[in-house]
Amino acid sequence: MSLVKAERRRFFKRRMTVWMLVIGLAILGAIGAGFVATHSKHTPEAVAAGEAKAKAAYAKEVREFEDKWKKECEATSKDPAACQGPPAEYFTAEHYMKPEFDFKLFYGEILIIWAAIMAMIAFVLGATYIGAEWSSGAMMNLLTWRPKRISVLGTKLGVLLGSMAAIGTATLLLWTGMLWGIAKVAGHTNGMTGSAWGSFGLAGLRGVAMIMAFAALGFGLASLGRHTALALGVAIGVVIVGQIGLSIVLAMADVPFFERYLIPVHMDAWLKKSVELEGGGYTCGPSGCIPEAVSELTYKTSGLIGLAVVVAVTALAFWSIKRRDVA
Amino acid sequence: MTSSVLEIKGLKKTYRSRGGPRRALDGFDMHVEAGQVHGFLGPNGSGKTTTLRTLLGLIKSDGGEMRILGSELPEALPKVVSQVGAIVESPQFFANFTARDTLSLLADAGDLPQSRVDWAFELVGLRDRANERVKTYSLGMKQRLAVASALLKQPRLLILDEPANGLDPGGIREMREMMATLSAGGMTVVLSSHILSEIQVICDQVTIISLGRRVAYGPVSEVLAAHSTGQVKVVLESAVDLGLAASVLMNAGLAATVNGDHLLVSGVDKPASISRALAAQQLYVAELTPQHADLESVFLELTGTAPVPGQHRSVDDSVRVESGQ
Ligand SMILES: Nc1ncnc2c1ncn2[C@@H]1O[C@H](COP(=O)(O)OP(=O)(O)OP(=O)(O)O)[C@@H](O)[C@H]1O
Ligand SMILES: [Mg+2]
Repeated sequence: MSLVKAERRRFFKRRMTVWMLVIGLAILGAIGAGFVATHSKHTPEAVAAGEAKAKAAYAKEVREFEDKWKKECEATSKDPAACQGPPAEYFTAEHYMKPEFDFKLFYGEILIIWAAIMAMIAFVLGATYIGAEWSSGAMMNLLTWRPKRISVLGTKLGVLLGSMAAIGTATLLLWTGMLWGIAKVAGHTNGMTGSAWGSFGLAGLRGVAMIMAFAALGFGLASLGRHTALALGVAIGVVIVGQIGLSIVLAMADVPFFERYLIPVHMDAWLKKSVELEGGGYTCGPSGCIPEAVSELTYKTSGLIGLAVVVAVTALAFWSIKRRDVA
Repeated sequence: MTSSVLEIKGLKKTYRSRGGPRRALDGFDMHVEAGQVHGFLGPNGSGKTTTLRTLLGLIKSDGGEMRILGSELPEALPKVVSQVGAIVESPQFFANFTARDTLSLLADAGDLPQSRVDWAFELVGLRDRANERVKTYSLGMKQRLAVASALLKQPRLLILDEPANGLDPGGIREMREMMATLSAGGMTVVLSSHILSEIQVICDQVTIISLGRRVAYGPVSEVLAAHSTGQVKVVLESAVDLGLAASVLMNAGLAATVNGDHLLVSGVDKPASISRALAAQQLYVAELTPQHADLESVFLELTGTAPVPGQHRSVDDSVRVESGQ
């Protein structure tokens, strides 16, 4: 227990932890501010103002048509009767108002913003937490106090996961609270039944689990390489070669449903329970375009893949600390 | 019979790294008794740090036995580790924490009362700088912090790998006095160092290692006596007679060589025989001093690492003793 206490103190004493959290909260706050700036409540006054704007715009367009285009149209067109001004129904009040922030509609769609930002932070925190210990020699020093290596690494991982669960839950509550507030000022919270809250809660918990998984991944990689740089290197490599490069190559090779090889798609599927991938081109008709084939990616598949990767990396890290000399 | 605090028998370690296998310990033996200050000497790369790391369970040995306080290592290490304070080759700490945080976290990890932290800072002379970040410490201050971290446990066995590294003369003397105090209080100290004059002053016993094997051990005086050259320095009243005096002594069955303005005579039983032989030829002795070997020359001789003019010695060119010696 004494080691748990020491490690928890160490984790929250690190400036990296504090800074990453400040930066994360700042980004989430900035995104919230963006939502406020681009949405507004549809109060009767706002609707009236929108209608007035629509009417004015319609009048302006009609005037312009009468002045300029009508003559030209009648001169060149075979059927002068077809030369009509812009249709009035295009000028609805909605087009001249900021959209409403619909809490129920948006929450699930943008949960990934919070989850992805916090997952990135978790990865960096997990990697630096153990990486800095290894590269500074503090890990070696600690092992002369606590020779049971598996239990030392296990305690560190446990403290990291516990802390990230707490940080993840706290930021989830802040994020939800912020979106709720935004909906209250610039939209509405209609339709939030108990079951809607229930499913949002579960999605949030899946998000917290994802954040913890990324923390474990960064931790495992940095411990394997005994340096933060290894974890960050792997991450950059995966993003650039494995994701950007792969998606270009797969798209060029016309591989159907190539999105299933992309990490963000799996993250999205994990949070939303399922995503539909479209492939094989589109057939377009009067009612719009529909994909020729769809494939569903569920959170079960994505979750299993993620779990397998995390377990493999963590197991390797434990095996390596047990086997390798600390010198 | 004094009890053994540290016993090593036939310790073997081969590092397997990119440059091929490297045999760092090759049947090394060591024996440290309770209450001693024990010097652990050897040229660079001879295996001192490797020995200490193996003891502390940081690396796995390929054979041999180790015991600390009577417990078999590495199996019993978790049990005895609270009694062993150690620094291995200038330990590094997390640079962004203050010295106080560093030790306080270690105290937590080791289940020790926080009051020990101030006690340790006081002992190494860092009390007034304890709240500064380790990053801003000088080399010697980091070394003092390392020693403080080893003392924190108030261990029965204190292992210090080159603790004087980077210390100023005052610091070295303080370290020496601290070790004397600790040892008087019953602590056993194993001290690896390259400052042999220091070792000669503070250590009760020494173990000398060369290329992974023990080449000499025992009380400092015994090691010196066993390897002292028995030479006598002879200064004459007039230096012009040196050549003549040398041949006189040779005739008397003594090996004498001219060395600058004096003679060095070896194989002397009684120094009086020198003055008698010379006086018989009207050569008068102005000064007759037995040459005591110091630890440095014994070390250089035993490990074969004395510098030879015009030659550059490589780190691994030291004496290898045959096993089973
Ligand atoms: N991690 C390692 N991998 C490979 N070889 C190593 C490693 N650590 C030490 N060695 C080798 O083992 C031998 C003994 O090294 P060690 O560090 O024990 O020497 P030392 O006696 O402490 O020397 P110094 O006085 O320079 O500190 C050296 O030849 C060294 O190159
Ligand atoms: Mg060394």
